[in-house]
Amino acid sequence: MQALAARFGPSVLALAGALAVSALIVALAGRDPAVAFGALWYGAFGSADSLSEVAVKTCPLLLCGLAIAISFQAGVWNIGVEGQLLMGALAMAALGTHALPLPAGLTLGAYLIAAAAAGAVWAGIAGVLKLRRNVNEVISTIMLNFVALGLIGYLVQGPLMEAGGRYPQTDAILPALWMPRLVLGHRAHAGLPLALLIAGAMHVLLYRGVAGYEMRAAGLNPAAARLAGIGVDGRLLLSLLVSGALAGLAGGIEVSAVTHRLYEHFSPGWGFTAIAVGLLGRLSPAGVVVAAVFFGALDAGSNAMQRAAGVSSVLVSIIQAVVILSLVALERGRWLPGRTATVVRED
Amino acid sequence: MGPVQNFAEPETTAPLLMVRGVSKRFGNTQALADVTLEFRAGEIHAVLGENGAGKSTLMHILAGIYRPDAGAVLLDGWPAVFNSPRAARRAGIGMVHQHFTLVETLTVAENLALSLPQQSGWRYDAAAAAAEARALAERVGLDLSPTELTVAELPVGARQRIEILKALAHAARVLILDEPTAVLTPQEVRKLFVMLRELRAQRRLIIFITHKLREVREIADRVTIMRRGCVVGTFDPALLSESEMAEHMIGDVVPARPRVTERARGDIVLNVTRLSARDERGLPALLDVSFVVRGSEVFGIAGVDGNGQRELFEVLAGLRPPSGGAVSVRGSPVTDFTPRALLAAGIGHIPPDRQRDGLVLPMTVQENFLLSRTLLDRCSRRGLLSVKAARRFSAAAARAYDVRADLDAPARSLSGGNQQRVVVARALAQRPAVLVAANPSRGLDVAATRAVADALLDSAGRGCAVVLISTDLDEVLDLSDRVAVLSRGRLSTGLDPPIDIEQLGLLMAGVPR
Repeated sequence: MQALAARFGPSVLALAGALAVSALIVALAGRDPAVAFGALWYGAFGSADSLSEVAVKTCPLLLCGLAIAISFQAGVWNIGVEGQLLMGALAMAALGTHALPLPAGLTLGAYLIAAAAAGAVWAGIAGVLKLRRNVNEVISTIMLNFVALGLIGYLVQGPLMEAGGRYPQTDAILPALWMPRLVLGHRAHAGLPLALLIAGAMHVLLYRGVAGYEMRAAGLNPAAARLAGIGVDGRLLLSLLVSGALAGLAGGIEVSAVTHRLYEHFSPGWGFTAIAVGLLGRLSPAGVVVAAVFFGALDAGSNAMQRAAGVSSVLVSIIQAVVILSLVALERGRWLPGRTATVVRED
Repeated sequence: MGPVQNFAEPETTAPLLMVRGVSKRFGNTQALADVTLEFRAGEIHAVLGENGAGKSTLMHILAGIYRPDAGAVLLDGWPAVFNSPRAARRAGIGMVHQHFTLVETLTVAENLALSLPQQSGWRYDAAAAAAEARALAERVGLDLSPTELTVAELPVGARQRIEILKALAHAARVLILDEPTAVLTPQEVRKLFVMLRELRAQRRLIIFITHKLREVREIADRVTIMRRGCVVGTFDPALLSESEMAEHMIGDVVPARPRVTERARGDIVLNVTRLSARDERGLPALLDVSFVVRGSEVFGIAGVDGNGQRELFEVLAGLRPPSGGAVSVRGSPVTDFTPRALLAAGIGHIPPDRQRDGLVLPMTVQENFLLSRTLLDRCSRRGLLSVKAARRFSAAAARAYDVRADLDAPARSLSGGNQQRVVVARALAQRPAVLVAANPSRGLDVAATRAVADALLDSAGRGCAVVLISTDLDEVLDLSDRVAVLSRGRLSTGLDPPIDIEQLGLLMAGVPR
């Protein structure tokens, strides 16, 4: 219990701080914070339809948050979740217009695996650069985001542009490959239960698996892990590949379940919001589930708030930003790359 | 203790810098006890001592980094205790640390500009800075590398010269050098000594910290020897042989615990033949090191730090590939020098820095008990850790080695002694054929030191071949069945008890037999 409080205490503090700051901003803008937050709450949890929207928004945030958690726990600062998600979406959009001589369910499964593989390959580039050429993964993963973005921009206006040639987007994938919905008439889809299952699997991997133990040890103290006979480089690469695969899967699911096609600005920045989700969830799978639902609800409720209380949905971005800043400040840079300690040694 | 004053020449000049009755304590350690000492202008004054003798602490006090608990420092007869390195520099005391403080990506001129009295105005004037740097070098009489090169492009010797210039930027009359030769090649050492003689000729005081006896004889006008926070005496190096210096450094060591039970020695377990290795700079650090250790035997490797101890430990732990030679365990040669292969071959280890290499501090005690490939394999099935097996193993290890801590608490929360007990318990619970322990009781209190010693002897009693690499001579003499000395990368032949302290001192001083 005490350990739990120590672990999640900073998250609660950061959240309280973020809500206080945003309430202050709403008040400064001459609106009633109570009305704004009321509208936000109602927009997220007020009806079956809004709940379904929360589920839709939570799914990519959860998978990307898990991607952040596993890489950060292994001491790999994968800031490229956004680009890896885009590559997964690209794989699904490109493959999804073709049928395989298989039942539709199996085809969808194969394509989701392909999307995960695409994300893993994209992350793997940064991993190989790090291990072979000692390139800092923060830099390479950020840069690969722009490469992914540019690549998709080119493809949707060129080779993969829809047959009609009207908009810069791909053709819609085959309806048989659309992710099944959970309840008729609502957009909530099978991606969320799948993501929750994966969160459970990640928990087992990190806290029960030998590989997860080795990743955490390598992330927290690579020198000690190396001396203990743990293949530190291999574990770093594995964590990055799993991270990329989760992000790619998020992109694949989004195409299959929600947009059915790929276009520029496909992602509203899930890969970046996921950093807040991961940190708020303290990099533990269970914490990430809670944080992802929270951010999903903010996302889903923000439009309702804008309509009902006249407060811009940008407020949600402010809440997210304050959460990240407070967590980083509370940890005094513990989660930042290249952390250093000054030690005065005797003799 | 009353220092043995043994000045070679009568005091002709008043001392430039005096230390009077200075004491300093860190936690439970008395780093300096009532130290009194004086330094004159125009001399190169070596301060010699083993690790932990207090020489760095004393220099840090002179340079304004630490403040003494008691006593006074007088510069030109005036009290001079400084609150900051900056204040000491302004008063004319500059220090060059072992680890350089240069900005590698900046040029020589830019680095010097950081230390020079500030330029006026907001703008950085590159031409003016370069001119200032050259003027400084000329004033001090030292060669300067081209000012437009970045520090990263310079060899170590040239970087040290810039550090010395930085230290002298404020017209320093006192230059303190902390083991300046540790990072230099022999050629660079020669150049440094030329430079120091030049500075001495300008009537500056140069204080030179070292534990290399040969250098003391070569460069110093006087030498002060320290031991365990006290000054043994100040001497004329010309009148003191290297073995006498070594004796003063080490003191009269008597093995604290005479060996009561002679263990029957077993067969040869570890066989190291002509092992060589290089350090980070590619220079030879271990040269043709050969030794054998039998089962139930503790083989002590003594020596002053920086003579290849770290490299020997790293080779035997698989962290550093040897450049030559062979290691075999129970007759089978080690072919793959990786941590995993050496663990599998039966070589366990206690690393010299438990917090850096032995523990993952944020993880729990139980998780730290498993930090070893062989234990992870033992406590898992098909890639999943068995919580029960891990618990059983950790609880048994904690009991056997008296680790007094909650298994679910983070290792960070443990005392140093308990942390080391975890490291020792983990190493020994794997029942290694060979145990390599490096400075296993460094920084521990008496009880924990005793517990570690008991654990090592206990494992030897059960047939383990123990290699004890330690710079603590008491520890080596106390625990070892045989002792050899590592000096400048070479290992002496093993000495059997009763051990002749004088011979040991000569070996530690690197004097050829």
